[in-house]
Amino acid sequence: MNFSEFTDILVAPIDKALQRYDPIWLAENGKGGQRTRYNDKNGIEKYREWRGTKDTLRDYVAWLKNVGSMGQMVASAPVACLKGFWEYRWMGSYLGTFIFINRLFEGYRGEELKIANMHMHAITSSLTKKIAFVLKNDKRLGGGPDSDNIIPYDETLPPLYLMGFPGLTPVPLQTLPEFIICDIDQHIEPYYIDVAESMGLPADVCSRCSAETGVAIDDAFPIMGRGMLSSNMPCNASEATSSFQRRRIGLPDFPVTLAMQHQEEEGKDFSEQVLKDSMKFIEDIYGVKYDWNELFKYAKLMNEQNEIEMEKWDIFATPYSPLNGISETLYKLYEWQSVNGAEPMFNEVDRKVIKIMRDCVDKKYEAFGGKTRHRAFLWGPSAVYYTDFPTWAQNCWGINVVLNMDSTMGYNHIDTEDPVKAMRDLTEFSQRSCMRHHAVGGWDNINAVWDWAKRFNCDMIICNDNVACKGMNGVHAALEEQAAEYGMHWVWLEHDLEDSRTVSRQDMRKCINDYMSVVLGEEPLDATIVEFDDSEGY
Amino acid sequence: MEFVLKAILKVVKIALILFVVTFGIYMNNLENKLIFYVIRPLLNKHYDSQVRDRRV
Repeated sequence: MNFSEFTDILVAPIDKALQRYDPIWLAENGKGGQRTRYNDKNGIEKYREWRGTKDTLRDYVAWLKNVGSMGQMVASAPVACLKGFWEYRWMGSYLGTFIFINRLFEGYRGEELKIANMHMHAITSSLTKKIAFVLKNDKRLGGGPDSDNIIPYDETLPPLYLMGFPGLTPVPLQTLPEFIICDIDQHIEPYYIDVAESMGLPADVCSRCSAETGVAIDDAFPIMGRGMLSSNMPCNASEATSSFQRRRIGLPDFPVTLAMQHQEEEGKDFSEQVLKDSMKFIEDIYGVKYDWNELFKYAKLMNEQNEIEMEKWDIFATPYSPLNGISETLYKLYEWQSVNGAEPMFNEVDRKVIKIMRDCVDKKYEAFGGKTRHRAFLWGPSAVYYTDFPTWAQNCWGINVVLNMDSTMGYNHIDTEDPVKAMRDLTEFSQRSCMRHHAVGGWDNINAVWDWAKRFNCDMIICNDNVACKGMNGVHAALEEQAAEYGMHWVWLEHDLEDSRTVSRQDMRKCINDYMSVVLGEEPLDATIVEFDDSEGY
Repeated sequence: MEFVLKAILKVVKIALILFVVTFGIYMNNLENKLIFYVIRPLLNKHYDSQVRDRRV
């Protein structure tokens, strides 16, 4: 008997006595479920989830660690943080982080909870440091010692190639005030969307681009650096918001216009030149010479992340992966798009996680108590995060989201010895970033959903149906015809990206509810979360 | 020896109190209730009163 088995025996009487508070037990016994402990509409839990003694204590320790990270953030820049909370509406939304985390990992137990907490702590730890760093050096709030050593860049560009500038710190411009926070607080972006529309911006554009424009008009972007890198990604609305941002922010700007049709070789030549030109722009503006050895240091970390990711993918294809759903996709999105090899802590987390995953395969461990009925490949952006969609789908209908589109970004190896080869590798890597590699990089990207679903042994594809995305609206019929041909369950997930007023979270859930109950005739695992109102919550 | 024992007891006592307090906050979701019902409405009132220089 090992230590874990011994403690299981010790806590068994406590778990038995308290099981009536466990939402999974309640749902299994028809006495309630996950929603029982929530206040209606505002989504505030009366008490946190009881997951059994060991898992509750595990989650409590993870909570303490995250509280510690937030304490460190404030302690490292107390005045700047206070000024930030006072100046920026989006900073107030970060207070909803713990409510967000609670929702994300509902129903998680055992190994999947262990990994989810490791992932979330890595994100919290990294993000709080970034917030403190940005606020401390925000020129709107008085600036700091590194105000002129920051490279603000469009968040859809991967920052890895910018790590070759010694002494400079790349910071994704939109990530803190717009992108991450839209996942935490469903009410923050509608405010910025209204700001943009009050200036005459049409209401039928992509709500992300609209919200970014609103942030710019509201003077809610931190100001830092001597020049910025904008981008043509991911679509025409994005190009428009880049224009609004450069006007409003007023820094010298280099638009990194990578080729949209990036699978073609000619496109790579073009994109490579654009990347080189942007590096020259930074050298000229900041007076710093590009150092390939510095870049190689971080490229090695990125390569290791991708090597581990490939091994994870092999495990995803089996029924024994404790890494799945929101824990997988949110971490991967942050790790790829925001960290991109620049923070060794993420490599350490990856090494620990892959070890747990290997053990789970050996033990034939099935996540969520083996209750998964369907394995889904998800093609969904931000709306699935503030809806904690993958978690809900598993808890309500037993749909395990094996992988989301955000986890399919650049995974090619980057040469770490020869600058010429590395430049080419970085080009391919950069072209396979957020959105360009998804809905707007050409038909082949979208058509790849079938390969992804087959690769991970999925029987279902849940595809984003963004009411304001002109690109995706054009492919409906083609995808539906193919779904019928391949015999794959195909569900459209309606949403309006960052505007939860147009398509509410419950409207999104209804898309799945209808398919599962009407088309497949299945019964929910937890009846309390089939239909509920969380419209007033974070 | 007695001093060491007393010190250990004191540390255990403090740790126990800290655990009870923080676990109570955690389990009853108190920090989120405070944020949602008190802090955020006050902050929203402040944000709504801000005058921002909005122009394109």
